[in-house]
Parts: sequence; C-alpha cells; structure tokens
Amino acid sequence: MRQARIATFAAGAAVVALTVAGCTPSDTVEDDGPVTLKLTIDQDMETLFPGDSGIADNIAILDVVYDGLVRYDPETKEPYNYVAESIESDDNTVWTIKIKPDLTFQNGEPVDAAAFARSWNYTAGHPELYSNYFFERFKGYEEMQDEIDDEGEVVKESPVEELSGLTVADDLTLEVELNAPFAGFATMLGYTGFYPVAQECLDDVEACAVKPIGNGPFQITEWDQGVSVDAERWADYTLDETPEDIDAINWREYAGASSWSDFEAGDLDVSYPPPADLAAAQEDPELSERLAEAPGAALTYIGFPLYEDGPWQDKEFRKAISMAIDRETIVDQLSGGLATPADSWVVPDGVPGGEAGTCEWCVFDPEAAKAALEKAGGWPDGETLTIGLSNDETEIEYFKAIGDSIEANLGIPYELKPNPDFSSVRSEQGFDGIFRNNWFPDYPLNENYLAFYAVGEEGAGNFGWYDKEFEDKLAEGDQAATLDEAVVKYQEAEAILAEEFPTIPFRFNAGAEYYSERLDDVVLDPFSGAVRVRALTVTE
Amino acid sequence: MGRYVLRRVAQAVGMLFLVMFVLHLLTTLAIQLNGNPALAFFGDKIPSPAQVAAVEQRFGLDDPCYDQPGNPCLGPFVERLGQYAQGDLGTNLRGREVTDIVASAAPNTLRLFVMVTITWLVLGMVLGSVAARWRGSPSDHGIRLTSVLIDALPVFVLLLVYKEVVTVPLSGWAKETFGEDSWPPYWFKPSFDPEHPWATVAVPGILLGLAGSAAFIRLVRASQLDSYGGDHVRTARSKGLNEGRVVVHHVVRNSSIPVVTAVGLTFAEALSGAVITEGIMNIYGMGGVLWDAVQSSDVGLVLGIVTILTAVTVLVMIVVDIAYAALDPRIRYE
Amino acid sequence: MSEAASAATGNVAGAASRTLASDAWRSLRRRPDVIISGLIITFFVVMAAFPTLFTSVSPRHCVIGDAKIKPQGFGNEFPLGTDSFGCDTLAQLAHGSRPSLLLALVVVGTALVIGVTLGLLAGYYLGWVDFVVSRTVEVFLVIPYLLAAMLLLSLFKNVDLGSGTFTTIMLPAIVLTLFGWMGYARYVRASVLEAKNLDYVTAARALGASDLRIMFRHVLPNAIGPVTALVPTAIAGVIGAEAVLAFLGIGVRPPAISWGIMIENGSSWVLGGYPHMLLVPLAALLATVLSLVVLGDALRDALDPRLSA
Repeated sequence: MRQARIATFAAGAAVVALTVAGCTPSDTVEDDGPVTLKLTIDQDMETLFPGDSGIADNIAILDVVYDGLVRYDPETKEPYNYVAESIESDDNTVWTIKIKPDLTFQNGEPVDAAAFARSWNYTAGHPELYSNYFFERFKGYEEMQDEIDDEGEVVKESPVEELSGLTVADDLTLEVELNAPFAGFATMLGYTGFYPVAQECLDDVEACAVKPIGNGPFQITEWDQGVSVDAERWADYTLDETPEDIDAINWREYAGASSWSDFEAGDLDVSYPPPADLAAAQEDPELSERLAEAPGAALTYIGFPLYEDGPWQDKEFRKAISMAIDRETIVDQLSGGLATPADSWVVPDGVPGGEAGTCEWCVFDPEAAKAALEKAGGWPDGETLTIGLSNDETEIEYFKAIGDSIEANLGIPYELKPNPDFSSVRSEQGFDGIFRNNWFPDYPLNENYLAFYAVGEEGAGNFGWYDKEFEDKLAEGDQAATLDEAVVKYQEAEAILAEEFPTIPFRFNAGAEYYSERLDDVVLDPFSGAVRVRALTVTE
Repeated sequence: MGRYVLRRVAQAVGMLFLVMFVLHLLTTLAIQLNGNPALAFFGDKIPSPAQVAAVEQRFGLDDPCYDQPGNPCLGPFVERLGQYAQGDLGTNLRGREVTDIVASAAPNTLRLFVMVTITWLVLGMVLGSVAARWRGSPSDHGIRLTSVLIDALPVFVLLLVYKEVVTVPLSGWAKETFGEDSWPPYWFKPSFDPEHPWATVAVPGILLGLAGSAAFIRLVRASQLDSYGGDHVRTARSKGLNEGRVVVHHVVRNSSIPVVTAVGLTFAEALSGAVITEGIMNIYGMGGVLWDAVQSSDVGLVLGIVTILTAVTVLVMIVVDIAYAALDPRIRYE
Repeated sequence: MSEAASAATGNVAGAASRTLASDAWRSLRRRPDVIISGLIITFFVVMAAFPTLFTSVSPRHCVIGDAKIKPQGFGNEFPLGTDSFGCDTLAQLAHGSRPSLLLALVVVGTALVIGVTLGLLAGYYLGWVDFVVSRTVEVFLVIPYLLAAMLLLSLFKNVDLGSGTFTTIMLPAIVLTLFGWMGYARYVRASVLEAKNLDYVTAARALGASDLRIMFRHVLPNAIGPVTALVPTAIAGVIGAEAVLAFLGIGVRPPAISWGIMIENGSSWVLGGYPHMLLVPLAALLATVLSLVVLGDALRDALDPRLSA
C-alpha cells in the first residue's frame, strides 16, 4: 500500500515519457507536397489590422495579404500604380484616384472607391490607431476629432464620422482634398495605413485584426498569437505580382530569441546570424553565396534635451560630442553587417533627396572634438553625462560603445539609462542628458525624415528645438508644383538642420539576410529590410 | 480533515487577495513613477492630445489616478475585482483576452515543468540516495561536488551553449541516422516547435531541471541521513531485516516527505527559470509572457497571470499538504 | 547571589559554545579542501577590496578599436584580452569582483540580522509575535525569490539611486534581502524552542536574568551553529543570482561592471572564437561559489553534532 503510492510517481513519469515518444510526427514536409515558405518575425506583434499596423513585422506580413494603390520599385524606390489605375492632381491639393476595375477582396466584396473611403474614414476617426496621424493632412480631419481638455479628458465627442475632404465620385473614382498642397501624396499611398478594408472587416474589427480579409495574393489561415502566423495562396488572385512557386507561408515568431540555429538546422528559409556567428557564416563559401543585402532606411540618431539648461545649449558642445564618436569602428565592431555609419539625416540612395555627407561634423576627429569642447566651456567637473535609451539589448551595446568613445576622447564620464518607457519619458521632455532616437520612415521621401522636427512653437517636441526658417522650407516643399521641386526644398530644410545641429546622426540600418538553398531571386525591401516575398522563386 | 481543508482554502483566498492587492499597488506605482505605457505606442512620433487620450482609453489607463504618484488607484482595482468575480480576467493593454493568452501559453510552461519535475525527482532520488547510503565515500563527494558545480553554472550559459553548439550538428545527425520523419530530430531541434510541443520541450526541460537539481539532491541526502540515524531504522535493523528492505522501506520512503513538499514548490520556483529557458528556446509560455508584461507595465496582464499562478500554487500546496498527511503516519489533521 | 549564579550558568553555556567552536575549527583546519577553498575566497576578497593590486588599467577605459583581442599573457598590454567593447578583461574582472561580492555580503549580512532577530523573538515569546512572524515567513516562502526579484526590479528599474559602487547594487540588494531572510528565521526559531527549555536556561530565568540577557547569552549561542553553516551557501546563491539578474538586464547595469555583466556579455561571443570573454569571469564565479559551498558543507558537518558521528 505504502509502496504503491510511491509507485504512482514513477507511473506518472512513465505516462509522460510515453506521451513524448508516442505521438507521431505527422506534419513533416513531404517532397511533393505544397511548398511552404518558412520565415520569421521578430516582435510580439499585436494586430494585423491595416490602419493599426506600424511595426516591421505586420508591415511585412500585410504586404502579401493586401494590395495597395501603389507599390514601390526596389531599385529606384519610386512608387508605381498597382491597384490604382491613375493618381492625378493639378495643384497637389485636390487629388483624383482611379481604381482598376473588377478587383475583389478574399471574401468576394468588391475593391472599389468605397472600400478605400471606408478604410480611411475609419482610421481617421480612431485616434487610438497607429496610422491615424497619416490622415492629418486630409481636409476634415480636425472636425472628426473629439474635443480634449488640458487634463486629457474628452470634453465633447465629435459627431463627424467621415473626412469631408474624401468623396467617392463614382464606383472606381476617389476625390481627395488635402488641407494644403503636398507633392508627395501619391508616395504615401502604398503604406499599410492606406490599404482598403472590406465591410465585413469593419463589422467585426477584432476578428479582422487577427484574421484579415485582404485583397492580396495570400490569405491568413491562422494566427496563433505569440507563436506563428500561417497564410495560404488565394486561388482567385487576379493581379500579376505573386510568387508562383509558393503555396503557403509560415512566419514563426521569435520575440528576442535568435533564429540562426534553426536556419542552420534547415528549419527556416531566411535568417541572419548574431554577431558571434557572423564570422563563421562569412567564411563559409557556400553560405556566403546565399546572402541578400539592401541599404536600410532607418536612422538612429542622438538627441539633446534642448528644453533643459546645460552645456548642450552650446552648438560647439554638440559638435564635440558628435566628433568624439568613432562611428566607423563602432558600427564595424557591433553591427555585424547590419548597419552603416551615418553622416546625413536622410538615408543616401534610399529615398529621393537623400544625400551622403550633409552632416559636416559627423567625422571622427578627437582633436577637433576636444577643441570644440574647450570652446563650449568644457564639461562641469564631477558631473556624469546620462544617456537615455530603450531597453533593447542591441541599443544598449551601441550606446555603451558611444559612451566609451565620449569618455575616452572627451573625458566626460557617462551612465546608461535604459528604460522600457523610454518613449514616454522622451515625449514628456524628461531627459537630462543625451538620448537615443530612431526613425523608421513611413514612405520613401526625404520629407518623412524631417517633418517631425516641425513642432510649430518654441520649446515643443521631443528635442525642444524650433526653427522658423526650417519649417518655412518644409512648407515651401509641400507646396511645390512637382515632386522633384519639392525634394529640393526639403533638401534645403535638411541643410538648415545640419547647420543648427540639434541632433546627431549615428547610423543607418542595413538589411541583410542569408537564405536557404531552395530560394532564388531574393530581394530585400528597401524600407523594412524584409525579404520581398512576391518576387521569390523556389526550386525544390 | 474536512475542516482542515476548509481552513486552508479560507487562508488561501485571503492570501490570494493580499498578493493581488500588493501587486496592484506595485504596478500602479510603477506606472506613476515610470510614465505612461500608452505613450510608448507612438514611438518617435509626436502624438496630438486627442491621440494620447484615445490610446489611454484603449489601454484602460485613462483614470487620472495613474498620473498621481502615491495614489493607490483603488477605483480601477475594485472594478477589476468585480470583473474577476464574474470570471472575466480582462484583457492586456492591446485588447487581447488574458484567458486567451494563458490558454495558449500555459500548456507549454506546464510541459516544461513536467520535464523539470521528472528530472528533479529522478536525479534527486537516485543521486541523493546513493550519496546518503555511502556517506563520506568518493561517490558521495563526487555527487555533491558535481551537483554544486552544475548549480553554480548560470542556467543561461548551459542553455546557450546547448542551443548554439549542440543542437545543429545533433539534429543533423539524428535526421541522417533516423530519417526526417522520426522522433530524434525533434528532440534536438534548436528551438521550440508548436507542432511537436513535447518532443521539442524535453531537452530544454531536462537542462533546466539539471540546473536546479543540486538543491534537490542535497535535500534527499540530508533527509535520508536523518533517517539512517533515526530510531525506527535502528529498530528495523535490530529486528534483522535485510539492508535492502530497510533502505527502501524505512529510509527512502520517509525521505520522500520533504521531497513531496519541494515538488509542490517547483511550480513557483521553476517559473523564474522558465523566463530564461522560454526566452532562449523561443517557447511561448507563461514565464516569457509575464516577463514581457512586467517590462511593458501591462497591469491587467500582470495581475491576471499572477492571480492564476498564485491560485494554482496555493492549490498545489494544499494538495501537497494532504498528500503529506497520507504519506506520514505521524501527521494527522483532526 | 543571583548575579553569581547567572554568571556561572553563563560561563557554562559560553564554555560549551567555545568548545564546539574550537572543536569545529580544529577539525576544519585539518581538511585540505577547506584550506584550498579558504585560500580561493581570500584571494577574491582581496581582489574585491584592492582591485588596483591586480591591474593598473581603469575598467572604464574602453577603446572600441581594441575590441576582441585574445589573451596575450601576463606582461603584455592585455593579459587576459579585451571584450567586445575593447575593455581590458583583467581590469573588468578585478574591478567587477567588488559589486558581485559586496552584493552577496550585504544581502546575506542583512538577511542574517533580520532572520535571526525575528526568529529569536518568535521562538522566545511565542504568542502573537510568533504568529505574525510565522505567517510572514510563509507568505514570503510562497513567492520564489528570483521571480519576485525579477518583478520588483523591472518595475522599479528606473528609480535612480546614483552611480557609485554601493548605489548600483542597492536595488538588487534590497530585493534579494527581502526574500532571503526566511530560512534563518525558521532555523533560529526552531533552535530557540529547543534551547528554551534546557535546564540552565530555566535556571537563569528562575534567577531573574532579563529576557535580553537570556536570549543573547544562553539561547542564541545554541542556535547560531546551524545558521552559520547556511551562510556560505547563501553567499554562493546570491553571487549566482547576480549573474542571472545581469543576464535579464535588471541587476547591475553597464557601464558599471560585475562578474554577472561580464558573463552575460561573454556568453554571446563564446562561439565566435572568443571563449575567453566568457571563461575568465565564469571561472572566477565558479571557483568562488564552489569554495563557498565546500566551506559551508564542512562547517555544517563540524557544527552539527548529530552529523559528526
């Protein structure tokens, strides 16, 4: 009797052991079966609703689930019409968008002017959605917003549910009126927030956020949140950009963990090694053939709390910090090939108007840095320079190296302050030292890298920096007759930024991925750095 | 016995409430001190007040008490308790049901715990018994030293080395030897595979169990040494029982009492290891979810998960207490 | 009269504990493993106290151009190589020992004081004092300390205390102490219960000795043996916990250094051909922890009369 009780423990263990051995591996890949592309996403993504998708992962997934009005050429980064037949304007304020006929959603609803209007009105009317701010340029956006008092409480809810500047002229024609001329409007339209949505989707947004009803070549079959996303080819897709060889896609979620071992074991189609494994990958002649690279578009830069009193109020001090940072070596040692040192505020060659070398003081020059620091009156004795940043491991590494560089070359002791609530501290102007910033462009235009410096008044914004001349230049660009003229005006705005030097460019991300033997025609998206699934071919 | 169980349940409910309230205070204070997690939503953009207000409302953080450090925010807490009472555990910041998250995360963590517990029991009972039986011998010293060495080795080092050095060649070898469709390749998969949860969680579970087994081995050894010196063993020996029977019947059995207690605590203890293991092996489980929730000040999720965890832990402890009474004739609950 | 009597009993008890201590000391001195362990611990304690004896380089002087240099041997610029930021590994190891060991000492020391005091009070007075202490111990025991540390430290990681050696370990120290005292309290309470009814204690009480005097002169010396044996293992546990907290990014944080930080940073490079970045700090940590555990075991054997059969 007594022994029997102990035996139950052993029996329990045995049952488990049997279960482990007992189930059979049923879903292994069969050679002749459907081809499943195996990809990864990095973050714990929360939604797949187009108007609410703003991180690289849901952007990459929705890219094959939805078709936008325009898509972007990976070479020139210029937009070309896709779902749109034409996008035209005489004055850059009133735009006429014609849509290709006979397109449908995956549930059979038509993709027409109403489908776009429905989507845009919904997103514009819900300020809690990520893409809401894109519609600030639309006429009637202000009227849709609830009235808010200083405490952040809603005083009066707005009864308006539609943008007055958005009209459905006929089934396939949309008229858009903007608040002010914007030459880059067509460039914006390929972004996730501008995808159309089906009526069925708006009827149950929660369901649609987990299982979108798209109009693209793939259909989401299941999203096991936190684990993986599965998509299947949509048989009735009529447009031409679709990968013929791929029947299904599986995205495995790796929140923080490295996927490289799985790639090496042959369980993934695309991956990139962590820094320690990079050298081995580069030395493998067979593997290094299967590397796709693309210049990235995201800029990491350093901001100063210009809303606070301190040495950083002096431009010479900001120059000193900038020239004390050995960008070249830091990026070389730490990026593992996934970044390039930055010397401009707009990514060169990445977007129209981007040019290298606009930042005169982004060169590593310890002597000049020391001289500039002296000119600025030096660093107060006994003080420590704090560096504010998010809690990301990679960023902590970079900014430790930046701090080391500053300490070694200028003798300023530093301290890192990683903070998961970094963004809120920044928007509340709560820093008392330099801090990290990162900009991931929404659409390929140099304006997108500069617009957020236009804060409208003295002391506002993340940096507490305001320059009237700069904002006038941006406005001039918005009102230019053609995109080319606009780009030039935006470049002039960047030049003002370079002269006033409120922030220091540090690095641009670069995209690089190793891919499996069966993939071909691997091209990376110039913005997200993700593999462009629609261009892929697969050989088995 | 019935009254005892009732009393324990009443105590447990009280403790549950206490833990929830303390956690509520802590997370609220953290939000008040660290800043509003709603703002993190906007990244580098500068939101308009309307956008901030809308996102705060969506996150359930629109109560002004979250902006006043020191305010205990009793309103939201009472509201939440009301919800819990109706069986609604609420949602996380982004509107996903807590029950939904737990339903998909908990099974994986449970699998991990099962493997950990088995490893602990097997290693603890076998090595602990050997060490106690031949106390002072080289094997005793060897076992103690090895267990201490493993214990001192940070568990993340063990897991990282396993994942990055061992898995790739081993799973390749297993594929060649046993074929793609067989089991062994899954045992050594570099990361968790939701299609084959038991197979891919086995080795990480054993490694995690290995790392924590030292305490267990010591426990078994110590309690068996106590038994060897005990009167009942001396009596049994003097009755002329053979040594094997004495060991199995009087020593191992008695030493299983503290072991059962320790297994009851496994659940909570292994959760800290689970945070690391789940992170490295890419297992979607409770440890990782809780960790992320804390990192992003997700009050609703933290409270929901900890409530469930505490409830389960307390339940396990009550069960263990009862098993205790059943195992040890000296303990009676009248 | 009463004075003399209580002094006499006191002497008896004192003599008893002294003999136990000197017996223990004598048996420890003869064990080679204890001697080696003691030497290793002394070495690292000296290193923590005077890191500049071992290196003249500042651990904060990191030049990224010197990153990832392999160990060059003593007498060269980087005897143990550099890490991925170009910081000198030897300088980091020497200076990093201080936060790691200091944290362990502070945590165990404070926990010991709290645990012994509460255990003593609970066991001596029983009644409501015992009820409160015992329930508190139970509540804290339910919550695993590493998990609690993770929760508390990440919730309050933004609380800024400054950047000195002591302030960088302050938060982890508070949290680990908060969850580290229960063991001592339980042990002490149990031994007090046993000792309380011994004849000489009853005699002392009958002769009118004050509560405080009885507790510290007669009861505590009996309880201190098993608790002392717990200390080395507890110190080892805290040193290990520090590494885990550093790995999770909530313990000591860079650019401050500790062995945990070094292990965390080194573990990602061990396979890239730079094993020294992990092995150097790991070896130091393992040696220290192992020595402490050996010492703890030996101490327990020596101090626990039931086991020294």
